[in-house]
Amino acid sequence: MTNILQDLSREMSAAVQRARASLVRVSNDETGAGSGLIWSSEGLILTNAHVVHQRTPTVTLPDGRQLPASVRAHDPARDLALLAVKASGLPAMPLGDSEHLRPGTWVFAVGHPWGVANAVTAGVIIGGGADMPELTGSQREWLMVSLMLRPGNSGGPLVDAAGRMLGINTIMTGPAVGGAVPVHIVRQFLRAATLN
Amino acid sequence: MSDVLQAVSAALVETVAAAEAGVVRVEGRRRLPSSGIVWSADGLIVTSNHALEREQDLSVGLAGDRRVAASLIGRDPATDLALLRAEAADLTALPWVEPDEAAVGALVLALGRPGHKVLATLGILSSVDAAWTTRAGGQIDHYLQTDAVMYPGFSGGPLVDGEQRVVGMNSSALVPGLGVAVPAPTVRRVVTALLSGRRVARGYLGVTAQAVPLPEALAQRLGQTHGLLLTHIEPRSPADQGRLVQGDTLVQLDGQPLRDLRDLQTVLGGEPGPAPVPLTLVRGGSLREATVTIGERAG
Repeated sequence: MTNILQDLSREMSAAVQRARASLVRVSNDETGAGSGLIWSSEGLILTNAHVVHQRTPTVTLPDGRQLPASVRAHDPARDLALLAVKASGLPAMPLGDSEHLRPGTWVFAVGHPWGVANAVTAGVIIGGGADMPELTGSQREWLMVSLMLRPGNSGGPLVDAAGRMLGINTIMTGPAVGGAVPVHIVRQFLRAATLN
Repeated sequence: MSDVLQAVSAALVETVAAAEAGVVRVEGRRRLPSSGIVWSADGLIVTSNHALEREQDLSVGLAGDRRVAASLIGRDPATDLALLRAEAADLTALPWVEPDEAAVGALVLALGRPGHKVLATLGILSSVDAAWTTRAGGQIDHYLQTDAVMYPGFSGGPLVDGEQRVVGMNSSALVPGLGVAVPAPTVRRVVTALLSGRRVARGYLGVTAQAVPLPEALAQRLGQTHGLLLTHIEPRSPADQGRLVQGDTLVQLDGQPLRDLRDLQTVLGGEPGPAPVPLTLVRGGSLREATVTIGERAG
């Protein structure tokens, strides 16, 4: 006997498993840890700038390996950082479209909130852009999401129903509202990083 | 394959898109605008009263970055409703659900337009319950509560069900900290009253009162521990005309116990009839029966 809720639950778990396959942990020697994701199979790791506190943070891969990382780019204005670890054949996260996202779209956030490994929360896209009501002063583009983010989620991926990354979870503005840096801003950041 | 999940996500997006044209931005305060719902194609907009800080120089933001002037038809603070007329005659009114069709546990989206685009949060209907009285004495026909996040500027916007119908108008002010929605019958009643030029009628007694404990013997006899001590009577008010005096303690009005101010607001919350209603009070330590003709107060 199967019903639509069971199908839905199974598919949600599958989407979460796919997202977890590319989720890493970024830790510093002393001051806390955050989340990150595998950007390329050759060892490029994406996270928030505010998660990286030192020149060689440690990245814990999904398979449990702990590797020292070098900081390739660090952009406090966009709150993004690119790290590199010596590894290859890693499962890079598939990318989604953050520019044509519509309110109501189902999303998951995966990360390590309060240090709880690989935890997931679900919700919907509230909206996006540079004119979000509680962040009008920031002059930055945000994807606002109606889901729970907590310390430790920072740097982790926001993914859609197909497990594609839409953004990097970055802030919480309320108990059940958070903001992510959209993936098209990540691309800007990477273009700027390679030009420098 | 994730067929159901993607279909759910697409259906949520579609629901937002279907209601989008009926969700407007209401510019009536200095800080963040609030939201409103198109009530009729010829320009009637229902919105949240508490987010309307001014009565002049109002405007309404429509889908497609259109912005039109609006005037205030009336407001009812007790139910947190206000009615505007936008200068547009080609709007899209949203269909409403009658509360008896609203089911606890149903998926709902809260929509708002504090900026240029419609925004959405998702939740369920947490409670569908009987009529209730707001703190300000407003009668709301059904209690509707959701766990969908009331994002900044969402007050006055619709709570929408899976069939793209409005379950109620969201208000984050009626019960602080909770997302409560005002259902169709209440909105209809208030809109009708405001349109007819009346303000919403509410019973009026003309007293200032506070709850006080009753002497034990009286309390046992009446089955209530408290009554309402009258500390002030407005001259020529219904209370004055009914010969109530300062120092009287009211214990019953129209057959309902008066144990605190909320009880009084509840009795006075409905539209008053023309006939005198019975009143029980304590004067000089003994119970007395009296009658009073409840007056009518707007707003």
